[in-house]
Amino acid sequence: MQALSGVSFDVPAGSVFGVLGPNGSGKTTLLGIVTDVLKADTGSFTLFDKAPSAAERRQIGTLLETPNFYHYLSAYKNLEISAAIKQRGKDDIARVLEICGLTQRQHSAFKTYSLGMKQRLAIAAVLLGDPDVLILDEPTNGLDPSGIAEVRELVRKLADSGKTIILASHLLDEVEKVCTHVAILRSGQLLLSGPVHTVISRNDFVELSAADNTQLQAAMLRYPGCTGAEIQGNIVRAFFAESPDAAAINSYCAQQGIWLSYLQLRKKSLETAFLEITNIAAS
Amino acid sequence: MKQIIYTEWLKVRNYRTFWVMLLLALVIIPAGNFMVADKLSGNMEQISKMLGNPFSFPDVWLTMASLNSYISALFGLLLIILVTNEYTYRTNRQNVIDGWERRQFVYAKLFWLVAISVLTLVVATISGALVGIIYGNKPFSLEGYHYMLYYFLQFNVMLTIALLIGVLVKRAGLAIVLFVAYNMMLDQLLSFIVKRNAGAIGGLLPLQSGDELLPFPLVGKMVSTGDQYEAYVYVTAMIAYIALGIYLVFRKILKSDL
Repeated sequence: MQALSGVSFDVPAGSVFGVLGPNGSGKTTLLGIVTDVLKADTGSFTLFDKAPSAAERRQIGTLLETPNFYHYLSAYKNLEISAAIKQRGKDDIARVLEICGLTQRQHSAFKTYSLGMKQRLAIAAVLLGDPDVLILDEPTNGLDPSGIAEVRELVRKLADSGKTIILASHLLDEVEKVCTHVAILRSGQLLLSGPVHTVISRNDFVELSAADNTQLQAAMLRYPGCTGAEIQGNIVRAFFAESPDAAAINSYCAQQGIWLSYLQLRKKSLETAFLEITNIAAS
Repeated sequence: MKQIIYTEWLKVRNYRTFWVMLLLALVIIPAGNFMVADKLSGNMEQISKMLGNPFSFPDVWLTMASLNSYISALFGLLLIILVTNEYTYRTNRQNVIDGWERRQFVYAKLFWLVAISVLTLVVATISGALVGIIYGNKPFSLEGYHYMLYYFLQFNVMLTIALLIGVLVKRAGLAIVLFVAYNMMLDQLLSFIVKRNAGAIGGLLPLQSGDELLPFPLVGKMVSTGDQYEAYVYVTAMIAYIALGIYLVFRKILKSDL
């Protein structure tokens, strides 16, 4: 079973790089190879422009798939082990526990934690030693809505402070809300990669209606910047390369002698945009 | 290596199961030694006139080494638990993700193999010496101590098998069942079958190699064990088994997905 094939891209320093794809598309496999827990049959990668080794991994905070900790040890003692392996002192443990809201329960055994707390501890381990590069594989797994919002806020803060973040997720809006760059995987193939706004382009469109929709459609097709217009029921949908200006459209139609009874700006849903990308690549 | 040992220490420092098993395994050595010495020496006067006192130096070393070889398995279980825990909690992955080379993970587990076996040798030596002093009738002597080294070597073979099973099977329950089955029965059974059909070569199975060098003193003197190789053949076989086992452990962990 081949999980990945011909996937190649660079993660620019300082970017928040989203790895997007449905379940089973190869996101975790990709990150597993980069962190040396999975062995690729062929291919290569570099970390910090160097051949990858444990020394480079120690400079990266990684949360891969699930939080992996010693069940019988407390959060604090688990982080002591992480710190020892990362060859960093214990002085950062209190800080990361505080950021992740675990200070109160830091001396309870990991096995007594809820799913959300386990995930928070995994994020605390990622932050340990304040690494410049973070790999977060589905970091909001198991978190409640406020936890999800907190993690997003944290990722944004880290990005603002200049960290490079690789964020794998199947949640589209999560990626769009925090990422600057994105790579889209499907069935182990890289479909697209680049800055998020060019990859997931979500052109706006307007919905209009007038007494004579055929005339309206013809007029819109002549409107500068309009890439297409179609009649759906009693509504005309007009598509644009750039964000359209509703007031200008209204005025234009009036000049053409068309009085609009309905005008609404719309945005293509993320799901539609994503499905389009994956379908175009598939066909 | 210091950093690896420190990390392993952090893992077990507050792990009650580890300390209970270690203590139990270590207590069983002197407890078994003294119990046997105490029970037998009362009824031994006649026999010892003929065959010598097995609890006197230098014979006590062979007696205790032979006895201890029957109660090694608990240490193997301890090592299996230390190894399979890492797979259960998936911390073998996390250790590598956090910045260990895969081989450092193997070193960490080999550290336990060495630490447990050295600790056992020390406890067995002290226990054997005390039995010799208390129940024997000759002054302390290290003559015959090489039997303790045979025991040490066999102990390392046993731990290597435990390590290998732990790494290959990954699940504590199944690993323990397989290890106990091999340790208690399979090795001896196979050895018996091969010996019967092909002669002394049957004594070269991993655990049997040690047993060939550690006959129970009185029985060994009364019953001839038949065909046997020179001691160095069994010693070489055991060293080869340890090397092969460690090679396979490295190979498995370096090559496969974690």
